Amino acid sequence: MPIELKELCRRADDVNELLARYGVKFGIYKGGKFHEQLFPFDMIPRIIDASDFAYLERGLKQRVKALNEFIRDIYSERKIIMDGVIAEEFIYSGSGYLVQCDGLAPPKNIYTHISGIDLVQGKDQSWYILEDNLRIPSGASYPMMARNLCRRSDPEIFEQYSIADNRNYPEILLRTMDYVNTGGLSVILTPGRFNAAYFEHSYFAEKTGAHLVTCDELVVENEHLYFTDYSGKREKVGAVYRRISDEYIDPVNFNRESLIGIAHIFDVYARGNLAIINAPGNGVADDKGIYYFVPAMIKYYLGEEPILQNAPTYLPYYEQDMKYVLENFDKLVLKDVAEAGGYGVLFGSKLSRTEKENFIALLKSEPRRFIAQEVIDFLDLDIYENDKLVPRKADLRAFVLMSDEPVVWKSGLTRFSRNPDSFIVNSSQGGGFKDTWVMEA
Amino acid sequence: MQKLRYSYHMKITFEQPVREHRFKLRCFPLTDARQKISNERIDIYPVHFRISEKDSFGNMCIYGTADQIHDHFAVDVEGDAEININGFLRADEHKIGIFKFETPLTKAGNNIREFHRELEPAAFYDNNFERAFYMMNMLYDEFTYSQGVTDISTNADEAFRLRHGVCQDYAHVLLALCRLERIPCRYIAGMIPGEGATHAWLEIFSDGIWRMLDPTHNRECDDTYIKISSGRDAKDCSINQGVFYGGGRQTQEIKVVCRKIS
Repeated sequence: MPIELKELCRRADDVNELLARYGVKFGIYKGGKFHEQLFPFDMIPRIIDASDFAYLERGLKQRVKALNEFIRDIYSERKIIMDGVIAEEFIYSGSGYLVQCDGLAPPKNIYTHISGIDLVQGKDQSWYILEDNLRIPSGASYPMMARNLCRRSDPEIFEQYSIADNRNYPEILLRTMDYVNTGGLSVILTPGRFNAAYFEHSYFAEKTGAHLVTCDELVVENEHLYFTDYSGKREKVGAVYRRISDEYIDPVNFNRESLIGIAHIFDVYARGNLAIINAPGNGVADDKGIYYFVPAMIKYYLGEEPILQNAPTYLPYYEQDMKYVLENFDKLVLKDVAEAGGYGVLFGSKLSRTEKENFIALLKSEPRRFIAQEVIDFLDLDIYENDKLVPRKADLRAFVLMSDEPVVWKSGLTRFSRNPDSFIVNSSQGGGFKDTWVMEA
Repeated sequence: MQKLRYSYHMKITFEQPVREHRFKLRCFPLTDARQKISNERIDIYPVHFRISEKDSFGNMCIYGTADQIHDHFAVDVEGDAEININGFLRADEHKIGIFKFETPLTKAGNNIREFHRELEPAAFYDNNFERAFYMMNMLYDEFTYSQGVTDISTNADEAFRLRHGVCQDYAHVLLALCRLERIPCRYIAGMIPGEGATHAWLEIFSDGIWRMLDPTHNRECDDTYIKISSGRDAKDCSINQGVFYGGGRQTQEIKVVCRKIS
């Protein structure tokens, strides 16, 4: 597509300056201190044409449907274990499984209201799923904000080309909250301004009209959750889009050392008087070990062939896979299933001899803890750096929101590594981002 | 058929007044295939609002709030239990998987693993109950009952390294050993005749039923054991979990009285 890159990039500094002024930031903890850092924006968008997006959309909907069905099954009949499709060890030993959720059904049986599915495109143009982020995936606000500013700085481009409007995210999010709301307000619960994604929490609240609340503004009384406003007025809450992880959400039911959280919020949820978005316990499906089983899950629950493929993955837990991993160690990437954010990732080829020996000993003693993947030859995307175009590794986080049907947002967060030698694109490790343009047919 | 009368008393005294106290209690024996509870009386002080419900393990919980300012919080539970030693608890296969795998408190580290290797339980027995019974015997010879060496947060491997502990530690170590064998087993909190604290033992899933072992006394449980709750480990059976404002230093007293009646 003949978009004039020069044209597009001439306002890069202005747009980045505005992003900084609007507080589009990402917080990180380093050495025990909290820093807010800018999330550098590159003006050249990732462009996905209509037919490619239609394919991704079909595949993502299918995947999220199967994942939701899997979580429902795991907390009820566990058919997929009884039928021997998934080894039970991967369920019960994973950190995401929450025993308190066993036997509970969330409103409308939705567990995965908002999913952030990470994909990469290989040099052969085919797409691979890298990770399913189901707990509290963040990042949709960044392309929303960037699009807004780009539309302002270059309105002609958005007139000239038919780019799907991504400003409907708040509308989809609101529909997702309202669909499961049990009667009362919909609120967005933030741990506070020292959270990495605080910008996003406040932006979503502003755009959806939902109250942005902290834990001390919510209280449980008589089997219901209430929001108390500044004047002391109480209103019942029917849906909480919480940006606090399961273990900290309720000190009476989970981690009792939690200084945040709302006592008994889980009990209100368990009685069916509240929707929690995303549903507690849904982390059982975003474990890196469970990822391996998603294609089998799609066949099992939906009776369909998976449309989108996983990156080729091995589970050293299985003897055959362990053998392959040991024989091909140098060409694989190894991931600790308990880690996230680009941590706990090792490239076999980059280890010294002793490191390799030590790691293999660890792998043999705790095979359940690791997965191994083929290193995908990413299709690089160009970024504009010092008046030049340079290629960088990039991935795509697609957002799928579930109400009566899953909806794939026609945009997404494209993250890139600023370091030319790195494959790690995570924003917590200093990566940058691009807008993602989905073209209309 | 044994009849028992029990009373469980817990009182927390706060140095400073407490407000907005929110609690969840798990100290109420339930009727099941093995035990029949009658004449139950529950007293919780102070309470503004309370509700009872079962947790995911089927344990009875009472949760609620105590809004008014108070300087102590007390729970009294009394009742009669009738134990039928042949009333075995059954379970659905899909419900027991979770009891096969270690938790942070029942994780087998090097100390327990080494001991387990020496035992070679699978070489002698193929039945879950017999294997667990054998490991319990061997553990009993290795471990000494003593108070004050461990505390409620001590994990199985640490307790085993020290070779000393209380009923909770005996139970956690045996759970860790059984889980190395992938034997489904669970932690039981309950009461036995006498005066003092609550007791802890295990249930082993074997041949389609749950059978009780008491590693502290190195025996299969008889008809004097009243079950309060079950879970993967002591944490799942925690009797009281609460949050409040104020309080300062707090002291907790627990008194269990349980005796046989005819």
